[in-house]
Amino acid sequence: MATFGRQSIAIAGMNIRSIPQRLWMSLSTVVAIALVVAVLLSFLAMANGFRKAQASAGAADIAILMRDGASSEINSVASRDQAALVGEMTGVARAGGKPLISAELFVIVDGTSRSNGLRGNLPLRGITPTGIALRHGIRITEGRVFQPGTNELVVGRAVVREFVGFEVGKTLRLGQSTWTVVGVFEDGGTVRESELWADAGVVQSAFDRQNFFQTIRVRLTSPAALPALKAAVAADPRVQLLAQSEADYFAEQAKASGGLIQALGWPLAIIMAIGALAGALNTMYSSVATRGTEIATLRAIGFGGFPTFVGTLAEALFLSVVGGLVGVVAASLIFQGFSAKTLSANFTQVIFTFQVTPGLCVTALILATVVGLIGGFFPAIRAARLPIVGMLGDQ
Amino acid sequence: MNHALLVTKNIGRRKLRTVLLLIAIFIAFLLFGALESFLQGFNAGQNSAAADRLVTVNKINFTVPLPISYVDRIRDLPGITHATSQSFFGGFYQDPKNFLLMFATDPQAYLQVYPKIVLPPEQRTAWLNDRRGIAVGRIVANKNHWKIGDHIPISSSIFSRADGSHSWDFNLDAIINLPEDSQRESVVLMHHKYFDETVTFARDTTSMIVFTTASPKLNDSIEKQVDAMFANSPYETSTDTAAAFNKAFVAQVGNIALIVTLVVSTAFAAILLIVGNTMVMAIRERTREIGVLKTLGFSGPVISAQILAESMLLALFGAALGLGTAWLALAATRRYLEALIPGVHMTGAILAAGLGWAIVLGLVTGAVPAWSGLRLRIVSALGRR
Repeated sequence: MATFGRQSIAIAGMNIRSIPQRLWMSLSTVVAIALVVAVLLSFLAMANGFRKAQASAGAADIAILMRDGASSEINSVASRDQAALVGEMTGVARAGGKPLISAELFVIVDGTSRSNGLRGNLPLRGITPTGIALRHGIRITEGRVFQPGTNELVVGRAVVREFVGFEVGKTLRLGQSTWTVVGVFEDGGTVRESELWADAGVVQSAFDRQNFFQTIRVRLTSPAALPALKAAVAADPRVQLLAQSEADYFAEQAKASGGLIQALGWPLAIIMAIGALAGALNTMYSSVATRGTEIATLRAIGFGGFPTFVGTLAEALFLSVVGGLVGVVAASLIFQGFSAKTLSANFTQVIFTFQVTPGLCVTALILATVVGLIGGFFPAIRAARLPIVGMLGDQ
Repeated sequence: MNHALLVTKNIGRRKLRTVLLLIAIFIAFLLFGALESFLQGFNAGQNSAAADRLVTVNKINFTVPLPISYVDRIRDLPGITHATSQSFFGGFYQDPKNFLLMFATDPQAYLQVYPKIVLPPEQRTAWLNDRRGIAVGRIVANKNHWKIGDHIPISSSIFSRADGSHSWDFNLDAIINLPEDSQRESVVLMHHKYFDETVTFARDTTSMIVFTTASPKLNDSIEKQVDAMFANSPYETSTDTAAAFNKAFVAQVGNIALIVTLVVSTAFAAILLIVGNTMVMAIRERTREIGVLKTLGFSGPVISAQILAESMLLALFGAALGLGTAWLALAATRRYLEALIPGVHMTGAILAAGLGWAIVLGLVTGAVPAWSGLRLRIVSALGRR
């Protein structure tokens, strides 16, 4: 066994050191595998970025109440009366005797995309200072929050990045009213950074929806209080709403599109991997062919068939891992933090950034290794079975 | 000796290698064919929109309603031939995930704005006279196994009825067949009157107004005229061609064109390297033979032509396999695919572009070996092992 090991290492080393002699063929395999890995990793990073933007927006101690049957905020309706009833229910946290509740309006307005100059749907949320406080990670990075009762907007960081004219001080015309951007907020890259916020009452009158909201959010006394609130909501026939935790709501939103991107990425990568595999097999068969005399010589001086097999397999693995690493590095450099947007279930643009993680890199490298293993296996069998006499006599 | 025979013999001499190269080329063209067809489906709305059709929506956003009275005001402008309202209904059948592209509209006016829709006379009459009637695109009808005369309960994710329910009962009166316009084959159309009678809010409003002009040349001035007419009113408008409106909407889903371009060029770059290098190697292996052929009187250009023919044959055959498989796969899954993205199909233009790329691939991968075949001197060729 020890001899096998030593022989295998010797042949593997020899094969890898002689790769420069087969430079162009080897390089084509490395590049083909690198490209496949880069495509896979970019799709995975896109899906992951989208999922994180949604999933990390939700908190377990916030409940969101929507119309029974509404699957997203835009389709929900809630009235001021309903909000008042919910505020008195069990499980709702209070501060200074007042319930921590936020009835919010959600309307869609146009923005002009920087990347293509076309109009895109942006969510304008009518909200109150209490509502802002119900969101955990919000930080004003520039300017200030809107003054209640005025046509002032505070906008998410991602909106400023992707759409024209949302910098602090800029004005925006919506219908007959003119709005001024007074601040920019940040929320750790979540979907909230794709929103515009203004005073709920002002948005209601600007959009002619007095007394109507889309959703109601409340802070729970603890995440464990959710079932009690759900029961209280169900028990009151005047409140035709359904309560769920904000974390669950966003997880559900993330599933819809995040899954789709991933469902596209894998088949594409696997189909491309088959193409790269054909290339790898081709390279390795020709490597075995050009090394025929060398292999036969080694066999003649006492090297075994198995070490020859291992040596060839090692060469293929080496090429594929190098290709995989090149692909991972290239995709990370190009796509990490790449900003993109898509349409959410709310019918508005969700802006997110591609997120490459070590785990995704490992997944992509595994694909490269599988291509290398299969691409090396069959040529390695041929190498191990080369007839010694025939090869030496051939020249 | 026949040149073609030499070329095919050369291709067949290392069968495994040829098969592997064909697989690599096949994969690249399979991806090209399939992805370009998908892209075609995504862009169908902007490609199939008639040049004389315009869309007016609320300037704030197309989800913000406009007064229904705007339809008549627009129709009365000179240069405008027909106009109809079109309101999003947010309809779904059985499951909210089975979402329908459903609009409330004025049936008579709708058929004028989309004159290519030709309904059988009895279906047309039935739909126009039945307040609860719907006309349904062929793709939607197939997907949900609906047929003429069915009574179909449809729910709305936006509207509710005065009695608190979210479900409406409709009679399927007409089916729209219009293969050249997959969007029209994907809609469900209800009477605006029935909509107005039953919803609890948004009465006397519409989400968009679609109209036709006497000539596409008038489009620019009419767009400005319409928007100017409603400027400084509580409901300002934004008017665009239907093509531009569809383009902006599809762009919101994402930059699909960029993704397709990146994936396809990646696949092409990979095969270019694999096939190109293999061709160089294959010709190098044959150096002595080429020397012999030249000794026998084959000229340099003939040798080059044979090498180019070999790479070209490989590229074209692999491409034909890939494009053919993509076509078959799309045709086999058509029923399922068109319900997701109407208009997914491989057009003649995609096929032609694929074959064009195959010729480029054949030329590029054959160029270097053809050049060395041309230049090769007999003495050095025969001396090389």
